[in-house]
Amino acid sequence: MNKYFSTKLSIFVFASPALLLFTVFCVYPLLPEIWMSLHKHDGFRNLGFVGLDNYKDVMASPSFWTAHKNTYLIVAISLLLGLPLSMMLSLFMDAQTPRFRRFFKTAAMFPAILSVTVVAQIWLAFYEPNWGLFNSILHSLGLSSWTHSWLTEKKTVMPSIGLTFLWQYIGLNAMLFYTGIKTIPKSYYEAALIDGANFVQVCLRITIPLLQNVIKYILILSTLGSMAFYSHVRVMTAGGPGDLSRTVIYQMYYTAFDTSEFGKGTAIAVIFILECLLISFIIQRYVAREKLEF
Amino acid sequence: MKTKSKAAAMFLMANILLVSSACSSGNETKSNQPSDNPSPSAASTEDNKETAAPDGKKIKMRVITITTDENRNNIMEKFIKPNIAAALPNLEVEFEPGGGGEDMANKLKTLNSSGDMPDVFWNDAGYFTPLKNTGSILDLTPYISKDGFLDKYAVPDALKHVDNGIYSLSSGADTYFTPVIFYHKDMFEEAGVKVPTTFDELIQISKTLKSKGMVPAVTPGKDGWGPKIFMLQQMIQIGDPQAMADLVSNKTDFNNPSVKEGAARIETLVKEGVFPDGIANLDYGPAMEMFTSKKAAMLWMFTWELPNLAKDETVDFFPFPSASDKYDPAQTVQFWGSPVNGYAVNGKTEHPEEAVKLAEFLAMADALYFESTGAPISLQTGNQANDRSPLMQKFVDWYNPIPNKIASFALNSLDARTSAEVSTQGANLLTGEYAAEDFNAAMNKIWGENTWFNK
Repeated sequence: MNKYFSTKLSIFVFASPALLLFTVFCVYPLLPEIWMSLHKHDGFRNLGFVGLDNYKDVMASPSFWTAHKNTYLIVAISLLLGLPLSMMLSLFMDAQTPRFRRFFKTAAMFPAILSVTVVAQIWLAFYEPNWGLFNSILHSLGLSSWTHSWLTEKKTVMPSIGLTFLWQYIGLNAMLFYTGIKTIPKSYYEAALIDGANFVQVCLRITIPLLQNVIKYILILSTLGSMAFYSHVRVMTAGGPGDLSRTVIYQMYYTAFDTSEFGKGTAIAVIFILECLLISFIIQRYVAREKLEF
Repeated sequence: MKTKSKAAAMFLMANILLVSSACSSGNETKSNQPSDNPSPSAASTEDNKETAAPDGKKIKMRVITITTDENRNNIMEKFIKPNIAAALPNLEVEFEPGGGGEDMANKLKTLNSSGDMPDVFWNDAGYFTPLKNTGSILDLTPYISKDGFLDKYAVPDALKHVDNGIYSLSSGADTYFTPVIFYHKDMFEEAGVKVPTTFDELIQISKTLKSKGMVPAVTPGKDGWGPKIFMLQQMIQIGDPQAMADLVSNKTDFNNPSVKEGAARIETLVKEGVFPDGIANLDYGPAMEMFTSKKAAMLWMFTWELPNLAKDETVDFFPFPSASDKYDPAQTVQFWGSPVNGYAVNGKTEHPEEAVKLAEFLAMADALYFESTGAPISLQTGNQANDRSPLMQKFVDWYNPIPNKIASFALNSLDARTSAEVSTQGANLLTGEYAAEDFNAAMNKIWGENTWFNK
């Protein structure tokens, strides 16, 4: 049986439908997009070849760089804050009794299954500057000077939206880590306990090193998920005020649809695809390269 | 090896054929040639026979219209849905919610791009040009002249676009929409303030209202709605109406001192606390709710909300107060509307005559609704005029005699990019962290690239 399934032809035959769909729906649409990015296009009509002018124009726009700063801020929040917190949450869950574990697993997953619109509306109410939860708490604690108009001030708008994003998906990542933890053989922990290792040592020497494949998967998922950050921004601030909370994807949408400059919008898309490919390559190349067997 | 390669190639080819046949629209035989001015004669007899549903089946029509405000929802629930089956028994109409503002514009632009435009839709000056350029909007003149619908308009010429075509049918209520300041009389009394007649007095009473724990004024600020739709225009014209009229007709730019002062007034309003914190992210619904629940004493809004607000007897309105001797609210006012705002018909619809009938029905539903609220309209319904509420009568008495009515900057001066950038820059101004000087510099650059007047 194996000799039939291990031939190059059979591999090709079984992989071809998926490859074909990937080519038709993912690779092929890139070609007209690249073509459009080299033309002046209003979404309906091609108004002429402009070479690399669209690329020059979008890169000369301050909004393009604001959008990049915001996107990478979200990536940083997701990776530097989100992943360690998710890991800690998963270790915490693992240390609980089965009854509490069930409770925490449900609680952790709950925000992730809610629609972005629902989550964004809840957090809009929290951030409301006049009657919102956060400012009300700060007022009641006598910390009125700490209150902000969270979603309209330059320094608070992106961290505020980032916190909403973090809250929604931190539990999902924790569940993925937890699933990874459960695959580590118990005998490793038993041996460590006999050797007198404490909780922190067990985490640092056993759990985290053996989770490297899960970490890699979550790293790619979180990085690309954060880079595609759009829906929360759309609902919470519509990219505003002005361009203060636009991400790259939002800036692309704004340029193509709001200003009807599809040539420039697709130029942003092409630049961003290259960035995503580069980042995926770096993660694939440098993170968790050694094959783990246990 | 060769046999294997051939087999692989055959398999791939079969897959490609399968996918390409699944992706085709099945409409390849139909003509998709755009036409700028389709007319009844343009539709072939054979097409008409084919589309007249000879088997007695109803003709299917798709409609997309605005669904974001209470007026529109009332029109749909009380005037369209209960009457459409009796009025147009040969049609089966599917209504698709269009939202409003930029969402509606983007939806229609996308549908136009993908060749999936509805048969009838709400047209707006903001996206009219691309629809016309692609033949997606029908010139209604021959149809509504032939069936006599045009004669029902008090001023038929008001429907004509600059190219003399008629592309949209409306109730004509738009012309009577203008921004005013609604206020709660009881809240003003409680705070001991009077209706302001000057810009300085407006700032002063706002400070008093705020000191009494009230939010002085609200308006939708999210995505720069307020600044783009009326606030910038009002703040310019209360200082110099001529400068505003010149800006609308591209006779001046954002270097004009009077125009610059307009933006500076918005900055002043925000910094003096006339609006609540977070105004730059305040949406239409929450802004309305803040006023109707009496959290805010004033609402800066168009008179399309007047019929609903008039239900509360504590609500009154006053025109925008003056910032110089050049402006008198009894002499100058901004009016909403554009000849291209209203129900339009897809230039590529398979059933143009039926679609025009449907657009006429929808425009009449609008007229009947606005008439029922006592609002003035130019599409004659044949009904006796209803009694107007005192607030509506006060509005009509003030508005009608005003000699200098300036068209809306938002509808009559901006191409798509400039329109989007005015929203962006306007929202920036509402943050209080953006100087009017920066606004004017940015706007002047954008204004110089505005293609609206190139046509």
